[in-house]
Amino acid sequence: MNAAFAIFKKELHIYFVSPLATVFLAAFLFLAGLFFYLGVAMSGEASLRVMMGNLSIALMFLLPMLTMRHFAEEERNGTLELMMTAPVPLWALLVGKWSASVALCGLLLVGTLLFPAILAYYGEPDWGVIATSYLGLGLCCMAFVSAGLFASSLTDEPVAAGFLGVLVLLPFWLAGTVSEMVESDWLRVVLRELAILTHIDGFSKGIVDSADVVWFLLISVGFLFLTWRSVESRRWR
Amino acid sequence: MIAVDQLTKRFGAFTAVDSISFEINVGQVVGFIGPNGAGKTTTMRMLTGFIPCSGGRASIAGHDVFDDPMSVRRRIGYLPETPPLYPELTIGSYLRFVSQIREVPRSEQVRRVGDVMERVGLSGWENRILGSLSKGYRQRVGLAQAIIHDPAVLILDEPTSGLDPRQVVGIRDFVRNLAEDRTVILSTHILSEVEALAERAIVIDGGQIVADDTLDGLRGRVGDGVRYRVELCAQNGVHVATEVGALVGVQQVEPIGEADGVTTLDVRAPSDPRTAIAGLATGNGWQVRAMEKHAPNLEEAFLHLVGAER
Repeated sequence: MNAAFAIFKKELHIYFVSPLATVFLAAFLFLAGLFFYLGVAMSGEASLRVMMGNLSIALMFLLPMLTMRHFAEEERNGTLELMMTAPVPLWALLVGKWSASVALCGLLLVGTLLFPAILAYYGEPDWGVIATSYLGLGLCCMAFVSAGLFASSLTDEPVAAGFLGVLVLLPFWLAGTVSEMVESDWLRVVLRELAILTHIDGFSKGIVDSADVVWFLLISVGFLFLTWRSVESRRWR
Repeated sequence: MIAVDQLTKRFGAFTAVDSISFEINVGQVVGFIGPNGAGKTTTMRMLTGFIPCSGGRASIAGHDVFDDPMSVRRRIGYLPETPPLYPELTIGSYLRFVSQIREVPRSEQVRRVGDVMERVGLSGWENRILGSLSKGYRQRVGLAQAIIHDPAVLILDEPTSGLDPRQVVGIRDFVRNLAEDRTVILSTHILSEVEALAERAIVIDGGQIVADDTLDGLRGRVGDGVRYRVELCAQNGVHVATEVGALVGVQQVEPIGEADGVTTLDVRAPSDPRTAIAGLATGNGWQVRAMEKHAPNLEEAFLHLVGAER
């Protein structure tokens, strides 16, 4: 546990001493502001629905950039050799890295609290819906970070890991669109269940369906497990 | 302390380490020497548990490297070929991080970090960014991280590669001090390194151990053994070589040159013949210009061993 916490602190530290976190925060908040403006201006309602939906898509492309260096860079620096020969269990390494990126996402979401504050100043937003929207986005971040970690464990080239992360997540986005086009009923259901938007939709309407929560947690744990296998196996190659 | 039995590593069809066995006792400093690509790094990576083996066993302090990796990891300090540094961190924050993952008790972390920084000559450098350090300083930080948890076994992969001569001397002194109460295994392709630090050398080539001996033992393996070079100044007409060859205990004499009335001989004898030669010279009224002992050095021994394999 101590090791996981040490790794968590180290990762956050590296985020903030490099320009990465700052640039990332700026880009994310800019996009959030844009989506917020567009959403409110177009619908005229005091809600974050448009912003939340778009942000979840934006995160799919942005978060792999945040996670790409985790294993790829360790491999490159040779620090993976340090981590794998120190008395640190692999789960602690995974948890430390994952929670550091999730914590940074938390910070991003805290930054966007400005927008509900603006809504509250000019109108009467539904706080319940806003709370569930944030819960949905948070779960989304957890799943995306896991997928990004997995991508990062596949290569020692951080940029390639970034693109791989997007590639890994893309099916979860496209599944929704493709599901509308297929003939077979069962395939349509499967594809719809696979799509992120299917599961985030409820949250942005104020509905917390435990099935959706479980879906995001399953994706997170699933990719963490794949990362585990991938890191283990790279020592075999 | 370290026991290796039939350890083998194959990468596909290529056998990097081929069934090597050796043992290293507590407090020994052993040099692992061999040409580039001989299997040194692969062996060290297997010993530290970084890569699994394809066959055989290895244990450190009684703990099997593959069955009980965490116990082994707790007992070793490891400096890989390239120091494992996070370029974004400062020396201080990096060493603190390593002390945490290396399970140094919380109350001792600050003291240990200060301690090792002093030992490797980095005092006052806490706030330097690792990415900005030169090769020599990176190597020092690498050494500092390897000893921060006071390990019983130190595994150093080419600890002085890429350093300037003054830094090499510094690092060697440092390793020598460490070795007093520790088992150290260090790999290198620089023979003077082994000569300066180790009492025993394991020579590896093509994945196999070609020699495992004390340094003197290795030197003795060079076919020629110890030779003496003698320069004598005798009267004209005297055949110096024959007279020296007739001395008791001299095995073979080979004249290698004659100039300005000085004869140079290459003398081979099991025990030092120089006193006898000096006596002979004095008795005959010759002059002795030089007599020196020429022991084969480790380089020759090494080339002899590694060459023999090819």
